[in-house]
Amino acid sequence: MELSHEEILRYSRHLLIPEVGLEGQQKLKASSALVIGTGGLGSPVALYLAAAGVGRIGLVDYDVVDSSNLQRQVIHGTSMVGKLKVESAKQRLLDLNPLIQVEAFNEPFTSENAIRIAKDYDILIDGTDNFPTRYLTNDLCVFLGKPNVYGSIYRFDGQASVFFAKEGPCYRCLFPEPPPPGLVPSCAEGGVLGVLPATIGSVQASEALKLLLGIGSPLIGKLLLYNALDMSFDFVTLKKNPKCRVCGPNADVTELIDYEEFCGVPGHDHEDDGSAGADWDISASDLRARVSSASGLLLLDVREPHELAISALRGATNIPLGQLAARLSELDSAREMVVFCKAGTRSARALELLVSAGFKKVKNLKGGINAWAREVDQSLPIY
Amino acid sequence: MPVIRIPAALKYYMDNHSELDIPASSVIDLLAALAERYPSVKFHLLDADGKLRRHFNVFVNGVHIRELDGLATKLNPDDKLILLASAAGG
Repeated sequence: MELSHEEILRYSRHLLIPEVGLEGQQKLKASSALVIGTGGLGSPVALYLAAAGVGRIGLVDYDVVDSSNLQRQVIHGTSMVGKLKVESAKQRLLDLNPLIQVEAFNEPFTSENAIRIAKDYDILIDGTDNFPTRYLTNDLCVFLGKPNVYGSIYRFDGQASVFFAKEGPCYRCLFPEPPPPGLVPSCAEGGVLGVLPATIGSVQASEALKLLLGIGSPLIGKLLLYNALDMSFDFVTLKKNPKCRVCGPNADVTELIDYEEFCGVPGHDHEDDGSAGADWDISASDLRARVSSASGLLLLDVREPHELAISALRGATNIPLGQLAARLSELDSAREMVVFCKAGTRSARALELLVSAGFKKVKNLKGGINAWAREVDQSLPIY
Repeated sequence: MPVIRIPAALKYYMDNHSELDIPASSVIDLLAALAERYPSVKFHLLDADGKLRRHFNVFVNGVHIRELDGLATKLNPDDKLILLASAAGG
């Protein structure tokens, strides 16, 4: 694929590298990459692949830009809050490099549409924020014979690898099963350092470019573990798991499955509607009525102590979720109790724990203190 | 004694340590010692049958214990272990 004079000037710093050169840049122009998720990881990945001149970039996301994204999702800007993420990202990429094609898929990535969306791309980049989409991306890559450029992040920790079943292990070789629902906190729940996805996303972008160019040693069979707090980079060796259900010799998963069912969680990490189920939930407005009428109602806040500085309910007792099992004796099981957290996810887990320990008069504040801030007390911030 | 690196998702239950020196002669003994020292981590680490939950992986000196002797893998005092947890964030 020929390069125009404009392209030769734009990519001149690549053309000067012997491992890339004119031929390599032409390869990049003829190549394609599908970026699944345009969030923390998808932002740097898509920006660098576009700048590098990957000829066709696909973007999959169904969400809109929220102001809480902007701390790390640098492809989006304040003026794009409320707009579709794929459209915001496409606009930014074409501003960065109008000489490439960008295809936007404004839809959730599911077993029903994944093959249609992914089949014409050379590589897939996993920049999703949830387990169902990660297992879907892995299985899809195994079935289509494409590399899965993987990255994940949490607080100060990041992981990156290339899962390519033709030449090495797949994601399921490492993680045969997802964690039990609710056991592994998401970034929406536990937070993430804003710059962390830049480090891991740029590793993913490097790996994608190396794969598309056919140069260097890709992270196949190796997993990078990064910790920003200690500034440590560790590598571990990964081998194919002979018992892998997707890429092993006796694989019994031979087509895409229902990944939300497999993981027991929805395919997104939104926690705005954190619920313990209709029988166990109480809405913020119903709680307001109860607080003003009922005496003896215990408000149990299961958030971390540092979150109390952001917002708090007067009179609430704070026992962080991680300490609850060991501190049940501090609570009176005969007393009516409403458990809450930021958005209702951790408190739903706390409620399960309390009920299994014999507490019967327990409710979960659906949507957490953020719902209270939205519906009852607008003087509190939403975070 | 062997040193184990703790994933972010578990640090909270382990006094926020990112690395711990644990006297143990095998991987299974080391995990048991961790659970004994930090009881609240036990539920997160081990299932109802006391087995390591399957979203965790253990590496000894960069090698997966599946390639060694699994949880029975013997440890030397200068071994470095990594406890890897799956993370979905992106």
